Amino acid sequence: MVDVRLPDLGEVDEVRLVAWCVAVGETVEAGAELVEVETEKATFVVEAEIAGRLVEACFAAGEPVPADAVLGRIEVHEG
Amino acid sequence: MKDRIEHVPLGRIDYVAALAAQRCAHACRSRGEIRDLVLTAEHDPVLTVGRSGSLDDLLVSPEQLREEGIPVHRVERGGGITYHGPGQLVVYPILDLKERGLDLRRYVRLLEDAMLATARAFGVRARRDERRPGAWVGSRKLASVGIHVRRWVTLHGFALNVDARRDHFAMIRPCGEAIEIVSLSDLTVRTPSMLEAERAALDALSAALGDPIEEGEASWLAATSH
Repeated sequence: MVDVRLPDLGEVDEVRLVAWCVAVGETVEAGAELVEVETEKATFVVEAEIAGRLVEACFAAGEPVPADAVLGRIEVHEG
Repeated sequence: MKDRIEHVPLGRIDYVAALAAQRCAHACRSRGEIRDLVLTAEHDPVLTVGRSGSLDDLLVSPEQLREEGIPVHRVERGGGITYHGPGQLVVYPILDLKERGLDLRRYVRLLEDAMLATARAFGVRARRDERRPGAWVGSRKLASVGIHVRRWVTLHGFALNVDARRDHFAMIRPCGEAIEIVSLSDLTVRTPSMLEAERAALDALSAALGDPIEEGEASWLAATSH
């Protein structure tokens, strides 16, 4: 299981989760667009670091997310 | 100096056509097929709603907008509702932030620096507001910023009021607030031409990025048109 986290966006304490690009239960390729967040006047798309299945989304659309939080979890493909 | 940046002047152009050009350029830049570039444009009247925007901030009815021929588009940039139209210079840098060692916050501040320097070129002293990104003259807004970043490559950018229509801005609460809008023409003896404003904005952006911005041949358009 791999945690989904925000990359370093700079001096950002908190973002707002705009939307998940994939639903819980869906599989993603490495580098696929996973979730979009917004901070002041800027939106940013977080990509999946690894291929697998999104098994948990810890925040819903519209919710505030601390910059260091785990956004979700990806179950890594076997083999 | 790191790299030359290509300038692609789109001129007076419909918002959707310019957005398509941005997305083409972004796709090419993301694949590493082209270098960083900057598109400039002046749009036909249009309202756009960013990710945190709401149609509640629209102060006129859809019927009125239809009569005026002003479309409304939801877009992926950050921020609320805004207006673009004649007399407003729009600057869309398509930059790879990773290659430039920039993060999201530093990039927004860099765009603010460029907006403030552009105003300064015409003798206008604008300032930033730590809580509300943009360029302000007193409590009035001279320029707005709103960006989108995917694959660490930027889309959208900033809009500077050179001699914009105040009555059109009155159709909205920009970014959800009761904000008074101001243009360079309200603050200068002689109204700068759009070309002068564009030149000043490109010079300011070039200085902020530390790279020359030069006229290009828009080779990315040919590469994506088939």
